Amino acid sequence: MAFVVGINVAVGLRLVGIAPKIPLQRIINFYPLHWYCSIAILVSGLALLAAYPAKALTNPVFYLKLTALIIGLGLSRYFQLKFQVEQSTIDEKKLKLLGALSLLLWVITITAGRFLAYTHNTLLASRFY
Amino acid sequence: MLELLSNFSQITGIYWFMNSPWGWPVAESIHFFGLCLLLGTVGVFDLRMLGMANGLSYEALHKLVPWGVVGYLLNVTTGTMFLTTSPDQYLFNPAFQTKLFFMLIAGLNMLLFYFTTAAAVKSTPAIITLPNRARTIAAISLLCWCGVIVCGRLITYFRPPYHWCFWC
Repeated sequence: MAFVVGINVAVGLRLVGIAPKIPLQRIINFYPLHWYCSIAILVSGLALLAAYPAKALTNPVFYLKLTALIIGLGLSRYFQLKFQVEQSTIDEKKLKLLGALSLLLWVITITAGRFLAYTHNTLLASRFY
Repeated sequence: MLELLSNFSQITGIYWFMNSPWGWPVAESIHFFGLCLLLGTVGVFDLRMLGMANGLSYEALHKLVPWGVVGYLLNVTTGTMFLTTSPDQYLFNPAFQTKLFFMLIAGLNMLLFYFTTAAAVKSTPAIITLPNRARTIAAISLLCWCGVIVCGRLITYFRPPYHWCFWC
């Protein structure tokens, strides 16, 4: 997770205007590692979900995390495809906004992820039997 | 030591904050985001030094590193909050001690980098592969930060009795 968020943080910081000399066409070369780590997140996430399905599925915070994560990864894919072309047609202002949105989504993902451990009110599905 | 840390937590109000309903998870969220800042800047720079993203300027990428320092400061602050609120959960925990060891190695490695290699790395053209010395420093840095993350997670799940820690 730290690698996925870390690489997105690096891209996000670049997009909001920090270190503007970093070429966007080059920074996306970190994305293959990002996607390998995303697969690790998916596998470990599914394992955690399988271990305590009721704990996650009955908690609205879980859906908040999932939504932020999916949109965040979608934005990553968008950036990757967009910056593959040499002369990007996207305007600077929009880029800045999308970069800030990406950073915000990862903050939400992390925060919701941590709060999952403290906000659940059902641990086992057997409670409903 | 336990008393000293506990007193610090009580006097500064950290204890009160951390024991409020959302104090601990808020601090944890900031702690993890700090770590992501660190890995997204220092870690990404390490990966670049190891040869990933060929053609990306070392000097330009290094401009992100100050944000890694921000992340590190967030981690030290929140880490101090955890430690002083529940010192007995950390001081005697080998996972915490190993985490500190990795942080120490990462710190010494960083000093070595800035005193011996950083200037040369920053002035190296983007298409040139760095010498083994720089690559070794980058590998140690990356391994240490991964070790810090793993040990940080283990702290929660590994709380042995005091007598397990033979040097405490």
